[in-house]
Amino acid sequence: MTDKSGAALRVPVEERLFSLVLALLATETGLTKHEILSTVQGYRQRYNNSGDNANLERQFERDKDDIRELGVPLETIDDPSQSGNNQNLRYRIPRGSYELPTDITFSAEETTLLNLAAMVWREGSLSDESRRALLKLRSLGLQADQPVLSYAARNRVRESTFEPLNTALERNSTVSFSYLKPGEAHARKRTADPHALIQHQGRWHLYAMQDGVPKTFLLRRITSPVTQTGKTFSPPPGDQAEVALRELEALWNSRSATVQVVPGSDAATRLLKRRGTEADGSTLTLHYADANILADELTGYGPEVLVVAPPELREAVRERLEQTTDQHIGDHREEAHRG
Amino acid sequence: MAERRKADRTAATRGSRQAADKLAFLLALVPYLMDHDRVSVSEVAKHFGVSEAEIREAVNLIAVSGIPGSTGTYQHNDLFDVAWDDFLDNDQIVLTNLVAIDESPRFSGREAAALIAGLQYLSALPENTDRSAIATLMAKLSRGASAAPTQLAVEDTATDATLAIIRECVAAGVQVEFNYRGSRGDTEQRRVDPLRIESLDADWYVRGWCHLREAVRTFRLDRISDPRRTDEPITHHSQDVALPDALFEGSLGDLEVTLELSSSALPLLEDYIRDNPVTLLGESRVRTVISVSHLHGLKRLVTGMPGVVTVVQPQEARDAVADWAAAGAAQYR
Repeated sequence: MTDKSGAALRVPVEERLFSLVLALLATETGLTKHEILSTVQGYRQRYNNSGDNANLERQFERDKDDIRELGVPLETIDDPSQSGNNQNLRYRIPRGSYELPTDITFSAEETTLLNLAAMVWREGSLSDESRRALLKLRSLGLQADQPVLSYAARNRVRESTFEPLNTALERNSTVSFSYLKPGEAHARKRTADPHALIQHQGRWHLYAMQDGVPKTFLLRRITSPVTQTGKTFSPPPGDQAEVALRELEALWNSRSATVQVVPGSDAATRLLKRRGTEADGSTLTLHYADANILADELTGYGPEVLVVAPPELREAVRERLEQTTDQHIGDHREEAHRG
Repeated sequence: MAERRKADRTAATRGSRQAADKLAFLLALVPYLMDHDRVSVSEVAKHFGVSEAEIREAVNLIAVSGIPGSTGTYQHNDLFDVAWDDFLDNDQIVLTNLVAIDESPRFSGREAAALIAGLQYLSALPENTDRSAIATLMAKLSRGASAAPTQLAVEDTATDATLAIIRECVAAGVQVEFNYRGSRGDTEQRRVDPLRIESLDADWYVRGWCHLREAVRTFRLDRISDPRRTDEPITHHSQDVALPDALFEGSLGDLEVTLELSSSALPLLEDYIRDNPVTLLGESRVRTVISVSHLHGLKRLVTGMPGVVTVVQPQEARDAVADWAAAGAAQYR
């Protein structure tokens, strides 16, 4: 990491990045890597005129990634007469793709709404990205018409797989991960092209193409880190998130369960408020998209809920209750986890 | 050794993220300063919500930055400049020479997607019923992005009457009254200064100052019945009471329970685990301690994550879970 010759002349990273953006915005025809490394502030101080600049070139590659990450459209132009020779590649930031079109403006009400929208995300990448988007709104001189801090609605993304999947989605990268399918004892490795990330009934789902078949994965059931395979794919046209949401919604509407609840119990109060629930005395009809999620939820109510139908759900809840009983009867068995 | 390398890499990632944040700030600040012929450091700091020191640091950097220019040597005319006397003596910013930047930057595809998904989430809320205004705003965000927004969407949930009343009270700054059914099964009338509405997974919560308990409390919306708006202004404001980040902190009890669970389930319990140590037992199994106020809540929590969480001790906690699950199972015999 340490570059002794350059240590005394070190320019702060943000100054180097800022200088690079300015230089690439100012050029119409683009700059070659040589021009950049030998003249741009932060590189030129470390540029070796006669020798090896491999470290500096790697630095430039990382800087390009960091800048693109911010949404700056850094472009590479190949010289058609010398295609393939990467010393002749030229780099630029085309003004039209960089600058916010001047006809896009936001009213004070819209700014308030966008501030609220940004505050929805409490933590993680969505929160960072929202914060940067707000910074750009402030750049335009926009202020919300009312303070929003006190009455923000907030939502959390708790699944650690969300961020790597969102990155893969942006880059159209094929991913692989282990997935524990409901009803199976062990997780299996899956490789799929991510098309959308959607939140349905508060849970995040990945909509992806696996071996040519569209599949919906629940993020919570991904049991390994998500890795990019290195392959990319061309994204299908159209609003994939919308398609995925519609499919889940159709599933939710088509599946229903009948349960009996103990009147006045916590189960009765809460299940009645579940979206789409219909009540006939203490018999409730519930909608769901995933029988295993509903089974987990209903198991938590213990004796307050009795599942009547469908039989698979009844069986799933009974099994869960018995398993939980078995795991908690008597003393905790230390030896179970020794081997 | 590997640990050390990993630590170095993490530090490098953090460093590059900070630099990227600073770059984003510089690219946003310059167009703002261009639009304001003369503006005070304090006003800019207030507008961007950062410290005055950060503004001065940024202006100092902008003032020496520029482009290599035709000579490749950063001549004076190729650099930004500020009116130094105004800046150093009066804390006023006046840019006197401009380079390369004309307008504010576009949103990145991911930034636009994050705001669009946030808007979709908000559109579920009662006061945001103007769907066409929200749709117009989403279209503007897409058009103002440097790449197509990533495919993110949040389900448009049906509005809930309880949510509507509480949102009204939060916005008006008045107390709300409701009947609340605790997880013990008891129902009490509560009067609350509602401060914030939050959701976690499919569940909605209101957080605020509870006049009955005289403390900050979190209430599940689905346990609230008969909510009524009052005319009484709230007595505790969000700037006076610290709302902890963890949802249940204010109502956590001192009953400590040791659990074993699969490590992938840790995020689901993070509000209960907080800073308690987590010990690795095997490849994917961990042991930790959570604090709860009573066994009634615990038995529901553990039973609702079947096969994932096991109570280790105390024995009374194991018994409570076993009895609850067994009573449920008995219905099926």
